[in-house]
Amino acid sequence: MTTVTVQWIVIAVVAGGLVWAVACYNRLVALRNRIVNAFAQIDVQLKRRHDLIPNLVDVARRYLTHEQATLQAVIEARGQAQGAAARARAQPTDAGAVGLLAVAEQVLTEHVGRLLAIAEAYPELKADATLRQLSEQLTSTENHIGFARQAYNDAVLDLNNKVQAFPDLLVAHLTGFSLAQPLKSTATAAERAVPRIDL
Amino acid sequence: MAMRFFDQQIAARRRSRRLTLAFALAVAATVVGMHVVLMLPWLLLRWFLQAPLGYPLGFMPVNLLAATGLILGGWWLERSHLARGGVALAERLGARPARPETRFEEERLVHVVSEICTAAHMPRPRVMVLPRHPGINAFAAGFEPADWALAVSDGALEQLTRAELQGLVAHECSHLKEGDTRLNMQLISMVSGLQMIWGFGRSLLPDSDTGRTSQGERGMSLHDLTWIAGIPIMAAGYVGWLAGRILQAAVSREREYLADARAVQWTRSADSLGGTLRKLMTQQHEAGSERLQPGHLKLAAHLFLVADDGRWPLPDGRNASRQPWLASHPLLADRVRRIYGRPRGPLPLQRMDPRTGLPAGADRAAAAPRR
Repeated sequence: MTTVTVQWIVIAVVAGGLVWAVACYNRLVALRNRIVNAFAQIDVQLKRRHDLIPNLVDVARRYLTHEQATLQAVIEARGQAQGAAARARAQPTDAGAVGLLAVAEQVLTEHVGRLLAIAEAYPELKADATLRQLSEQLTSTENHIGFARQAYNDAVLDLNNKVQAFPDLLVAHLTGFSLAQPLKSTATAAERAVPRIDL
Repeated sequence: MAMRFFDQQIAARRRSRRLTLAFALAVAATVVGMHVVLMLPWLLLRWFLQAPLGYPLGFMPVNLLAATGLILGGWWLERSHLARGGVALAERLGARPARPETRFEEERLVHVVSEICTAAHMPRPRVMVLPRHPGINAFAAGFEPADWALAVSDGALEQLTRAELQGLVAHECSHLKEGDTRLNMQLISMVSGLQMIWGFGRSLLPDSDTGRTSQGERGMSLHDLTWIAGIPIMAAGYVGWLAGRILQAAVSREREYLADARAVQWTRSADSLGGTLRKLMTQQHEAGSERLQPGHLKLAAHLFLVADDGRWPLPDGRNASRQPWLASHPLLADRVRRIYGRPRGPLPLQRMDPRTGLPAGADRAAAAPRR
C-alpha cells in the first residue's frame, strides 16, 4: 500500500470517529435534558396537588363538622408544602431545600390520607359526587407524582448507563457529563422502617 | 419471582430486529425464487426438445423486475389502505372520543392515560372509547404523536380496577412509543405484496379468465401452456407469502412481549397488566372462538390487546383452526407466565363499582377453571 492510500484510510477512520463522537455527545445531551424535564414534571404535579387540596377541604368541611382538627392539620401541611416547594424552585440545586420539600410533601400526603380515611366513615360525604370527583383527581395527582418521580429515575438510569458504558464514557468524560443521582423516596433510616397505622 | 422487564425488553427488541432482517431476506429470496422457478419450465422444454435453447434476451432482468414490481405494487396498494392515520382508523373501527364530563369511568380513563404518559415520558394520544363493546379490549393506532389514538372498550372500563386499567393503557402506549403501529403496517403491506406473486401465478392457470402470455413459448398455443409458468410462480409466491406471514406474525408477537415488559416497567406492578390478562383468560374461555375485535377490519388485529387471528392462509378463507405460529399475539397463558414468572389462573369477570374499586352487586363471576 502506498503512503497516499494509508493517508486516506487514516483520514477516513478519524472522520468516522469524529462523526460517532458528535452523535454520542448529542445523545448524552438529549438524555440529560430528559432528566431536567422529568424534574420539572414532578414540580408541575406537586403544584396541582397543592391547588386541589383547598377544594377537598371545602367539600369535607360541610359534612365533617366534628373533624375540624384534621381539616386544620391538612390546611397547615399544605401551607408548609407550598412554602417548601417555592424555596426548592428558587434553588433547585440545593440538596437541603429539595430534602425539606420531600419531607413536607410526605407530611401532606399523610394528612390527606388520614382525611380521606375518615371520610369513609361518613356515608353522606362518601356519596357526594363532588367528593368522588375530587378524590379521583387527588388519586390521579398522587399517581402522577409517583410516576413523575419514577420517570425521573428511569431517565437517570438511561443517562448513567450511557455515561458509564465503553466507549461512550470517553466522550462523556471529555465533555463533562457525570453520573446523575436518582431521587430517593426515604431520607433517613427511620423513614424506611415500616410505618404504624395510627387512626 | 418478579419480571426482569429491562432484560425482557432488550431480548424482545433483539429478537424482533433479527426477525425483521429475516423478513427482508425472505422478500429478496422470493424475488430471486420467482426467477429460479421460471428457469424450470425452460429447462424442461430444453430436455423435451433435446435442443440447446438459449434463454430469451433479458430473461433474468425481466423476471427480477416483474417480481419486484409485483411486490412493490402490492405493498403500495395495501399501505395506502392502512396508512390513513390513527384517529381516522380508530373511528372506522367504531371508537369515539372519550367524554370525561359525562361518565366517571371515562374521566378516570383520561386521568389514567395522562398518568401513564407521565411515566413513559411521551406525548398524550387522543383518548377514545369503544362503546357498546362488552368485552375487555383496547387498541392503539397512529404513526405520529399528533395522530396517536388510544381506544379502550366499554367492557374494560367497567370490569377492570384502576390498577388493571393502568396496565392496559401502558401496554397500548408502549405500542405507540415503540413505533409498532408503523412497523406492523409496513410488514403487513409487504406480505400483501408477496401475495401478489402468488396471485399472478394463479391468474396464469387455465381456469382463470385472463389469459396472459408466458415467457416466450414457441410452436404451441400460448393460452394452453401458460400454466407451465403459472404453477411454479404460484408455488414460489405461496412459499414467499407464507414465509412472510409467519415472520410478520413472529415480529408482531415479539412486539407484544415487548409491550408487556414496558407496561410492567411503567406501572412497576405485575398485577396491573397481569390482572387484565388473567381476566381476559376468563373472557376467552367463556366466549370460545368468538372474535374479540370488530370483524370487519381483520387487518387491524395486530393493533388490539388480544386478537383471535392466526388462521391458515387458504384462498377461499375457510375458517381453519388457529395456528400459533401465524397468530399476531402470543397465547395469554404465555404472556401471564412471563409477567409473573410462573403460570397463573384466570380471574373472574365482574363489574367494578368505580367509586370503591370493588366488585359491584351485579356479579358476573363465571366458574373459571383453575390451572
